[in-house]
Amino acid sequence: MKYAFYPGCVSRGGCPELYPSAVKVADKLAIELEELKDVACTGAGVLPQYISDPINARTFAKAERMGLPVMTICSTCQGVMAQANYRLKEDPTYREKINREYLADEGLEYKGTIEVKHLLWVIFEDYGIERFKALIQRPLKGLKVSPFYGCFLRRPPEAITPTKELNRRKAYLDELIGILGADMADISGKGKCCGFPILSANEENSLAMVAKHTGESKEKGADFMVTPCPLCHLNLDGNQAKAEAQTGAEIDLPILHLPQFLGLALGFDPNEMNLKRHLVATDKVESKVNMLT
Amino acid sequence: MQVTFKVYRKDPEKDGKPSRSNYTVEAPDGATVLDSLFKIRDEVDGTLAFRASCARGYCGDCMVRVNGSARLTCTAKVSAYTQKGPEISLDPLRNVPVIKDLVFDWDAFMWNKIKAVKPWLDASETADGENIVPDAAMADLRKVLSCFHCGMCDEGCTILPVDFDFLGPAALTKAYRLAFDPRNKNSREQVKIVEKPKGIWDCVHCYEADEHCPRGIEPTKRIVALRDRAYQSGITHEAVARHHASFAASVKESGWLDEGRLAVESEGLTNVKGLMKLLPTAAKALARGKAPIPYMHSKRPGSDQIKKIFQKAEQEEK
Repeated sequence: MKYAFYPGCVSRGGCPELYPSAVKVADKLAIELEELKDVACTGAGVLPQYISDPINARTFAKAERMGLPVMTICSTCQGVMAQANYRLKEDPTYREKINREYLADEGLEYKGTIEVKHLLWVIFEDYGIERFKALIQRPLKGLKVSPFYGCFLRRPPEAITPTKELNRRKAYLDELIGILGADMADISGKGKCCGFPILSANEENSLAMVAKHTGESKEKGADFMVTPCPLCHLNLDGNQAKAEAQTGAEIDLPILHLPQFLGLALGFDPNEMNLKRHLVATDKVESKVNMLT
Repeated sequence: MQVTFKVYRKDPEKDGKPSRSNYTVEAPDGATVLDSLFKIRDEVDGTLAFRASCARGYCGDCMVRVNGSARLTCTAKVSAYTQKGPEISLDPLRNVPVIKDLVFDWDAFMWNKIKAVKPWLDASETADGENIVPDAAMADLRKVLSCFHCGMCDEGCTILPVDFDFLGPAALTKAYRLAFDPRNKNSREQVKIVEKPKGIWDCVHCYEADEHCPRGIEPTKRIVALRDRAYQSGITHEAVARHHASFAASVKESGWLDEGRLAVESEGLTNVKGLMKLLPTAAKALARGKAPIPYMHSKRPGSDQIKKIFQKAEQEEK
């Protein structure tokens, strides 16, 4: 199995613990990654579509030339790319216009054949759950975990859950918690937004959302929350202290990236998964995990 | 079948405290929740208050929460909600002032917000008094014009439960309908109105509204289009303008995002108070080896090409 790997900006910037954890996990699973190095940021829903569509079309054209599907490790990258890819695949006239006006100059063309998949989808849809289960070395027994998807990994349906069968994608993280041997601390907002996109426009609302999701998870007795989106992580982990100060509630809920969660069950030491780099201390999670080995 | 409706009650003329009444009535095959509400009011309890008007899924007046999710009671079949047992809960919308029982304050919920976006068209006057638009130019708006203001998008919105003053997807979709009307000579002004705080920039574009809209109008995509239009003509919300300018400059110059730079430039380089606010988190992050240092950022290979694409797209859309 081989993918054109699109790590995204945040996995090397604001969440530098994510990139190496993902690479280690992929290596353990024998998923071969060829990194797309000369491509741009997706635009992250900040840049307007008329700029982000051409730069994403360029990324797809490069992957197409490699003959590989794209793998992401960020719900936001995944969502923005899947939406752009949907438009480019559905509307050949639009695709041709972008090819002609933006890609031809570099000798590139996007033919509309590329699939973009988040690591979470890759495990369920390409790798196979049974094959994955066989590699679990440390079932995370006794740990209680809340899922948090990142809204771009749930919607809009035409790009994220285009068929009835793929509606399952909305439950992959829930399923994974059970597969890794952990218990579920379900929360009502697991498919909602974390608040990150409005940090500059309305920090108060953004932090209220952090407090709502992490507070509910804590109330349900979670040891930690797991997210496939590093932007959610930046807000839920990075701004949790600010959310506590705003609401006056003590939350103290560690947030793990999806690859870290996978890695712990695959037998990696917590240090190898770089848990120490989080802003909310993960000591309690680490000691519980170490007790399991 | 016999179905028990557990209905939210509140009577401001009594103690005004919320309670719940249980009504068991016969719901024949094909009965809607609204049919049952009428049966309850006519045959069991004449004091039960609820709203309904067209009774055919056109006006949106009868929206309540059926087993927790917002539905038009006139199109919601009882049989769709009794699979787990013959009980159905009915509640007014979340976070909305209740007038009595299932009747909530539509003005506070939606109409005041729709009024706030100045929902009228400032069309150019023509000599013959007509303003004919080619059919193709209205194609995109036709879908939006089918909005019947049921408020389902607002009920599904992620922001409204945290901030009831947010304009919400229904009002912002109305703003789109006007800003993108080819006859509107004040389109720019229309966008500026919704750029103010509590408008388009307070939206997290999570696409919940699109999932809730019964007409497939896709309110989130309309909000995103308004934001793109604002970007194109110059964002007027100061904090958002700084954030977007920094984001764009970083991708344009290096191909990817300089997050440290984005953090400081979003606050404003001369905004000492704002920059100080960043310090506690930045210091903590630095101690964990994860705060990206602003402007210490390498160019991605191929960034010159990305810059070219960027510049061309900006030029074309001017």
